[in-house]
Amino acid sequence: MNVVGTSVKRTDIIGKVTGTAQYAGDVKLAGMLHGKIKRSTVAHANIKRIDISRAVAFPGVKAVLTHENVPRVLHYGSPHPRSASVTCDQYILDRKVRYWGEGVAAVAAVSEEIAEEVLDLIDVEYEPLPGVFTVEAAQASGAPVIHETGYANNLLFKPVVVTRGDVAKGFAQADLIIEGEYETGRPTPAYMEPNVCVCQWDNTGKLTVWVSTQTAFMVRGILAEVLGLPLHKVRVLVDHMGGGFGAKQDLFQHEFLCALLAKETRHPVRMEYTRGETFVGGRSRHPCKIWLRQGFRKDGTVVAREARMTYNSGAYGSHGPGVTIVGTSALTSLYRCENVHLEGRCVYTNTPIAGAYRGYGVVQTYYALDIQMDEAAARLGMDPVELKLRNAVREGDLAPSGHPIVGHGLEDCIRRGAQEAGWEQLRRRPHEPDGTFRRGWGMGCEMHGSSAYPGIKEQGNAIVKMNEDGTAVLLTGAAGLGTGAHTALAQIVAEELGLRFDDVAVVHGDTDIVPWDIGAFASHTTFMVGRAAQMAASEVKRQLLQRVGEQIEVAPEDLEVRDSVIAVRGVAAKRMTVREAMGPKPGIPAANLVGNGTYTPTKSYSFAAHFVEVQVDTGTGQIDVLQVVPVHEVGKVVHPVAAAGQIEGGIQQGIGHTLTEDYIVDLTNGRSLNAGFVDYKMPLSMDMPPIRTIILETAPDPGGPYGAKGIGEDPIIAIGPAIANAIYDAVGVRFRHFPITPEQVLAALKDKTNADA
Amino acid sequence: MKRVVEVTINGERHELALEPYRSLLDVLRNEVGLTGTKKGCDVGDCGACTVLLDGKPVNSCLVLGVEVAGCDIVTIEGLQPDPERLHPLQESFMKHGGAQCGFCTPGFVMMAKALLDENPNPTEEEIRFGIAGNICRCTGYTRIVTAIQEAAKELSEGRSPA
Repeated sequence: MNVVGTSVKRTDIIGKVTGTAQYAGDVKLAGMLHGKIKRSTVAHANIKRIDISRAVAFPGVKAVLTHENVPRVLHYGSPHPRSASVTCDQYILDRKVRYWGEGVAAVAAVSEEIAEEVLDLIDVEYEPLPGVFTVEAAQASGAPVIHETGYANNLLFKPVVVTRGDVAKGFAQADLIIEGEYETGRPTPAYMEPNVCVCQWDNTGKLTVWVSTQTAFMVRGILAEVLGLPLHKVRVLVDHMGGGFGAKQDLFQHEFLCALLAKETRHPVRMEYTRGETFVGGRSRHPCKIWLRQGFRKDGTVVAREARMTYNSGAYGSHGPGVTIVGTSALTSLYRCENVHLEGRCVYTNTPIAGAYRGYGVVQTYYALDIQMDEAAARLGMDPVELKLRNAVREGDLAPSGHPIVGHGLEDCIRRGAQEAGWEQLRRRPHEPDGTFRRGWGMGCEMHGSSAYPGIKEQGNAIVKMNEDGTAVLLTGAAGLGTGAHTALAQIVAEELGLRFDDVAVVHGDTDIVPWDIGAFASHTTFMVGRAAQMAASEVKRQLLQRVGEQIEVAPEDLEVRDSVIAVRGVAAKRMTVREAMGPKPGIPAANLVGNGTYTPTKSYSFAAHFVEVQVDTGTGQIDVLQVVPVHEVGKVVHPVAAAGQIEGGIQQGIGHTLTEDYIVDLTNGRSLNAGFVDYKMPLSMDMPPIRTIILETAPDPGGPYGAKGIGEDPIIAIGPAIANAIYDAVGVRFRHFPITPEQVLAALKDKTNADA
Repeated sequence: MKRVVEVTINGERHELALEPYRSLLDVLRNEVGLTGTKKGCDVGDCGACTVLLDGKPVNSCLVLGVEVAGCDIVTIEGLQPDPERLHPLQESFMKHGGAQCGFCTPGFVMMAKALLDENPNPTEEEIRFGIAGNICRCTGYTRIVTAIQEAAKELSEGRSPA
């Protein structure tokens, strides 16, 4: 292959290194006003009265919105309306607040400072309701009801039950049964670009929205539905965006409020969240409690697996159902098991909203699973690598989606990682039980589907057009959230058409122009849109070769295109550039060649094994990750540097949530306690270890372009249990939660010393 | 009351009438139209708004516009030696995958520029220390460090003028 598989210069980066790339927050329009949201100071209450008279009278204030003057339409705050993944439980502004920091009013003013200032002049009188901040409290009998639209005991939806085989029979065959409870924290995606949008209406009643979103067409759809507009009266524009990691699939409150403020004032309005608001009004991962029980034969074979998960959705449903379904079903696989019974629940609480975040429910359940596998290995006297290899999912096994697995990707990752890390020697090395600094190695595994199919009936779309000079343009609805997706798509088009990479341009980010796309999430873009782009390019190539064949009287199938030159196979002299083929000639107008590709997927899975070395300071409890060897199997790699960048960034976020990141809610009143980068501690440059990234292409998927599969979600999943298992290897203490903090390490070491003595 | 401030930005003299409470970051973005400098937190935690103030890196969100009277400021837009050519740091960030979403990138590039101006041959540890005040959420820093190392080599070998 010529273009696919090479690290070409990414098309999006030059604007990013020169400062010319336009993000939604960089848009400045004539007469633009600034919007701000007033946020609740209680976690659960009815709004008795809201007085805006002082705010309206303030000089420079142009409009004030409350629940009394915005449309009252119940909507899906998330992008897949009418799929099973999301709930319909939000209003633009409601008479009731359900978490501390929820928006209760919005202001537009001539400056950001005035808009901010005037929020204090809006008087809100609350009738407080009892708040529930944990899943236990929310499910207790007599707990306050957070949503009238939900199920009993604050459940978002009916529990997910997944059964394969017969667990009772499986446990009866087991030589060893292990059960445990696991708990995961509340990390947030913490993308660097705070939520932001600019809205403008024109004289025909058309709304244009510049917004930082992964899902422009979903923003268009929901805005249209809630504001009562046809789709051609809403145009959503996204050029560059500063990260999303899943969370920017949702509509937050500001998109609606900004549009309504712009309508009311007849001025464009810009609304940007502060960093604090991006925490409070943003989306976190779902905190989760997992009870997991597995049965093993003496030889390590898993014969039964039973689990119950409870995900904490916070105040609204967002992706709660999807996260619960995906996270729960994930436990059918990774390590094969014929007898499985799984139950997943998702519960409303009066805490900030959990949503989609890289790893989508699976981070939680595979954390539990992979730690328990390590526990089992210790109990069985086996090497964890051997135990995991014995049970690793493989060719033909049923994936969580019910589709058969292609290839032996997981086994390949485990074997290669063990070899790279020198695992056999590591297992034989002596541990120094008395030193202050103790080192250990651990490993974790994961698999993740490319695209959200079959949970969401997805499709990938692409249009490829040829220009009369032989260059081509790809039109795609896929968002560029920083992964290099547009470059990868251009590479695929160039490869398929036989063009030079520089001869392909990408048009994206305008819902009026590009074909519909569900959004950039679920490791969807390269796999789904990439395949659609390949199909569209293939169609254009067919048209091109037909045109050339007619001109030079050669059958199209005897022609080939490479580096933008068309040649007759086996006849070196017969050549024509694509430019010559496309352009006008006497008696022949320039060609108008357009290819349309629509792809509905099969399911494909990517795999990884992460090997990690940690050092535990037994004096302070500090845990340092010393090195990571991530091995990923992703089918054909389109852009090696971009793919490796995804892996290393995912590992950074995974180290974060395992050791230091936790968005903390005061369990007495629901207040957020660390909504900022000083108190919410993410790994910085000095915290990050060397990462020796290895990418395998051993199990290409026939559904993806040239066998390519997804990569975005995968790298955040296996790192967590690998760290927890490495800590166990280092100090002999088993942690079954994250984040694992120094205080907990010290306390656990003390308990262990007491128990040993 | 607005105050009139004379300042040099990217080699050009500007006379700006500024509210005394407005940050240099907001002045650059909203009043001078240089939106390459990004607002990630507005409280000095993330480094996305790093610019050079008389050659030294600062979080422009923590500096008031009126404080920079008579100063020389360089932003990401002022880094290219000429319109046809990128600075070696910019080339290196592109080539080595030092940017993903790109929102932190201008801050990193400016911080790296300040670092290499002061220490043309930094060790990996010195690079990591030098960028410890800049947050990136996409890359894991690995490729940012590589990009700075490679740019340092390029600059010190004199292949590209800064």
